[in-house]
Amino acid sequence: MAYSDKVIDHYNNPRNVGQLDKSKSEVGTGLVGAPECGDVMRLQIRVNPETKVIEEAKFKTFGCGSAIASSSLATEWVKGRTVDEALQIKNTDIVRELALPPVKIHCSVLAEDAIRAAIGDWKKKNGVAEGVPAAAAAAN
Amino acid sequence: MAIVETSSADAAACRSCAAPLTGQPAFCPACGKVQAPGPADYFSLFQLPRRLEIDLPALEAMFYRYSRKLHPDLHARATEEEQQWSTAQASLLNNAYRCLKDPVERTKYLLRLEGAPLEEDQAADGGRVNPSKAPADLLEEVFELNLQLEELRANRKLGEDDPFLRRDLEQSKTHFVAQLEAVDRELRSLWSAWDEAEERGDEAGKTGAKRDLAALLHRRTYLGNLVRDVNETLGDL
Repeated sequence: MAYSDKVIDHYNNPRNVGQLDKSKSEVGTGLVGAPECGDVMRLQIRVNPETKVIEEAKFKTFGCGSAIASSSLATEWVKGRTVDEALQIKNTDIVRELALPPVKIHCSVLAEDAIRAAIGDWKKKNGVAEGVPAAAAAAN
Repeated sequence: MAIVETSSADAAACRSCAAPLTGQPAFCPACGKVQAPGPADYFSLFQLPRRLEIDLPALEAMFYRYSRKLHPDLHARATEEEQQWSTAQASLLNNAYRCLKDPVERTKYLLRLEGAPLEEDQAADGGRVNPSKAPADLLEEVFELNLQLEELRANRKLGEDDPFLRRDLEQSKTHFVAQLEAVDRELRSLWSAWDEAEERGDEAGKTGAKRDLAALLHRRTYLGNLVRDVNETLGDL
């Protein structure tokens, strides 16, 4: 099985590797893992408190090429979207974009869950109830 | 492995002397002739109940006794069909013994036999693994450990060895090995939960034990991978 060109590109030139200050209120941190392969993925977002737009996203992933590519792509995709829009990203979109083979689908699931976990953490810090759109909460 | 097609009526009788057979014994109890290997599970091959606490010396004795009876020399003058069966039975027996004598393999085998999904099977199928089931308390530690390992590898590339980092890693390793040992102790107590429920025929108890066992094996895999990674990195130096 060969990796697709897009996976190789993200693997060789991962976007947005790094760390944000997780103690800040506008930063949400998602840490997820897949025990069967030992992958662990940290995805962080910095959200503009006024517009609810994700202005910065960083990741650090320990795992296979597909896991790194999936999280790299996830940070690219969430940037510039609002929190509510970012929640619409599905693992199947990642699978399609990176042409992941069936055995690597769990890497994309991990990336989707990392996005959700990061947004969930941000919501918790900012008193937005889980499941409530951030835009609606802002209107209150 | 040659599996000879038999109708259910045939399966219950010796292929040689037509004596009635119960279960799927390797040999006919009446005439002692080797039988065609059936789709028997490893437990019934050794005539054991599906329980996790196993008398290992008894299992070993049974394995050697069967192996001797299946030895090709004893079947050199048997029909070609019987020779094939004895080879197939011997190979089945080896697999069964190797699996049942190992505590973790035995537990995994029983869970699969009892239809409990294991995370590793789901991942291999490309199925959806719910990472929230990944032990949350471990993730933080795993991440930190991976950062340290990465730093150590980077240092090594520069030809440096950081004794403090190395000491930290040795400590992490001790910590994870201890957790792995705790998991193995817990595994044994869950075995009794399963065995007792199985003995009582308590379906709810069995379901609960299966779920707990699967979750524990999940944690064990995670810890095992960590210890392996630390060992590899430390060993490289």
